[in-house]
Amino acid sequence: MPQLVTVKVNRPDHRPIRFWIPVLPVVLVLFPVVVLVVLAAIVACVVFRIGVVRALGAAWRVISALPGARFDIEQGRTAVLVAIR
Amino acid sequence: MTEQRKDILDMLVAGKITAEEAEQLIAALERDQTPATVGHDARPKGKVKYLRVVVDATDNGEPSRVNVRVPLQLLRAGVRLAALIPPQALVKANASLSESGVPIDLTQLKPEQLEALVEHLDEVTVEVDSPDATVRVFCE
Repeated sequence: MPQLVTVKVNRPDHRPIRFWIPVLPVVLVLFPVVVLVVLAAIVACVVFRIGVVRALGAAWRVISALPGARFDIEQGRTAVLVAIR
Repeated sequence: MTEQRKDILDMLVAGKITAEEAEQLIAALERDQTPATVGHDARPKGKVKYLRVVVDATDNGEPSRVNVRVPLQLLRAGVRLAALIPPQALVKANASLSESGVPIDLTQLKPEQLEALVEHLDEVTVEVDSPDATVRVFCE
C-alpha cells in the first residue's frame, strides 16, 4: 500500500511548492468517506452483476501496486511531479 | 553437464561417432546455447519492474518533457480490474471505438492474453524520433 505521495509544483515567478502527503493518516481522517465509496462500489457491483469480492480484490491490487509510480511533467519553467512511495 | 552433451559422449563411448564428430557436435551445441545465455544474462527476467515513458519535445520554442514511471505490477493489477468490465460496457466501448475508426473487438481480448502481453513488455523498446519530439517507451 502507498505510504507517501510527494507532489512538487514549480511555476515561473513563484516559489516551488512541495507536499508530502502521508497516505495512512489521510485515509484515517477520510475514513467515513472511504466507507461510503466502498459501499457505493459494492452497490455498483451488484447492479452490474460483478463479483463483489473479485472487484474489491482487483481494486486492492491496483492500490497495492501504486508504490514506485512517478509522473514528471515539465513545460518550459513549469513542472509538476507526483511520486508515490 | 547438459543432457545433449551427455548423449554425444554416450554415442562416442558406444562407438557410433568418432572423436572428431563428437567434437564438432559439442562445438555446434555450444554455438546454439551461447546467444540464449548471453541474452538471458543481459536482461534477466524478474529484474524488470517499471515501464518508462519519456517524451522530450519542443512546444512553441519551449522545451517540454514528460517522464512517467509505472510499476509493471500496476499494469498487471489493471488487467485484472479490466477483466471485471461487464459485457454490455464492452459492447458500448466497441461501438465507440468503431465510430472513432478503431475497429477493435474488446470482447475478444482475454485477460490471459493481456497478462501475457504485460509479461513480455520487458523485451519491448519503442523509440520515435521526429524533429520536434523524441518518445521512448521501455522497461527497466
